[in-house]
Amino acid sequence: MLRHVALAGISAVFLVMLLPFFALADDINIGVVPAEIRIDNLSPGETAKFELTIHNNDAISRSFTLAVSVPPEGQEKTGATQFPDGSWISFSPDRTEVVPYGEANVTVMVAIPREQKWTSQDWETWLGVTAESTDMLGVRLYTRLLVSTNSTVAQRFNVRLLVGIGLPALLLGCGGFYYFRRRARFN
Amino acid sequence: MKAIIAGILVTLMLALVFSLPALAQETGTITITMTGANEISISLDKTQWPLGNVASDTEYETVPAIEWCTLTVGGNCNVNTFITGADAAWVSSPTEYKWTLSSDGSNGEDIYGIWFRISGDTTRGPMSDGYVPVTKTESEFWPYSGGSGSSLAPGDHKQFGLRLLTPTYFISGRQMQTQITISAAAA
Repeated sequence: MLRHVALAGISAVFLVMLLPFFALADDINIGVVPAEIRIDNLSPGETAKFELTIHNNDAISRSFTLAVSVPPEGQEKTGATQFPDGSWISFSPDRTEVVPYGEANVTVMVAIPREQKWTSQDWETWLGVTAESTDMLGVRLYTRLLVSTNSTVAQRFNVRLLVGIGLPALLLGCGGFYYFRRRARFN
Repeated sequence: MKAIIAGILVTLMLALVFSLPALAQETGTITITMTGANEISISLDKTQWPLGNVASDTEYETVPAIEWCTLTVGGNCNVNTFITGADAAWVSSPTEYKWTLSSDGSNGEDIYGIWFRISGDTTRGPMSDGYVPVTKTESEFWPYSGGSGSSLAPGDHKQFGLRLLTPTYFISGRQMQTQITISAAAA
């Protein structure tokens, strides 16, 4: 019993000695996957969804915040124009904590409003992943997001679905009507 | 009568056969691709610069001046890097008192300047001495327009240092804190 108490005491002393070294880490090493993502044929009115993976390569837990960012001037890919509205992109969650040497996934949703003027566009925006810190130097990584929209707006109603259900309903109604009328005549 | 009912049921089944695929096709085809190399990662081997007490209208440089911090590229894609600064806030009450970061590295009353210099870069910046002002607008760190350098590849590293120019006048006895963010995007 005494031996167990002594061992616990020694462990506690070592823990207290080690904690400050981890807490005072004076470096930072993070990564994000993917570095670039392209969404093709997104019709205005539709939503695309994908995941970002954040890697914390440090010995301490880190919190990360995600936000849409306008690329610095001249940094967009050739042919791409600035993404019209950052509010069309959402993150779930938009802040996450990652354990030492761990990773976390964040879902990104891109929803283009159902408007004709957003068809046939090529846009670029950057998704910023910032490691929260009170140190003087901080790090932010960007994933390039390239979006090209379809030449047509997504249909609000599915015409084929409406015809597929409506037509048999009509036939069923007509059939029932003639059947009951005929039966009434015989009676 | 049986023939009529059978006919109606067949019609209904045919309608369902056509309507279900139509329902499945409602969202169309969106292509999401990760292009090129897929992990972006950087690290800094130093994130803190505790200065202690500072005097007004005085320059302070990191030690060593230009090889103080090392930025290393990880992951598996080439990157362009950027730098941005922020106002310095009073730690005890960040909203009550701050030093504004100047847009050209100069100083004034409660206005301070921050400069960076990359090792080996001797002619860059407004004074052609290698030092470049850090501003609140994200600007090129490495490579930079007009320079001969290229994007940084995985395994590459850049050493740099900082210079602080304190305000010509500030309220003494207050601990101030600021943050400089180094960011990276796939080249």
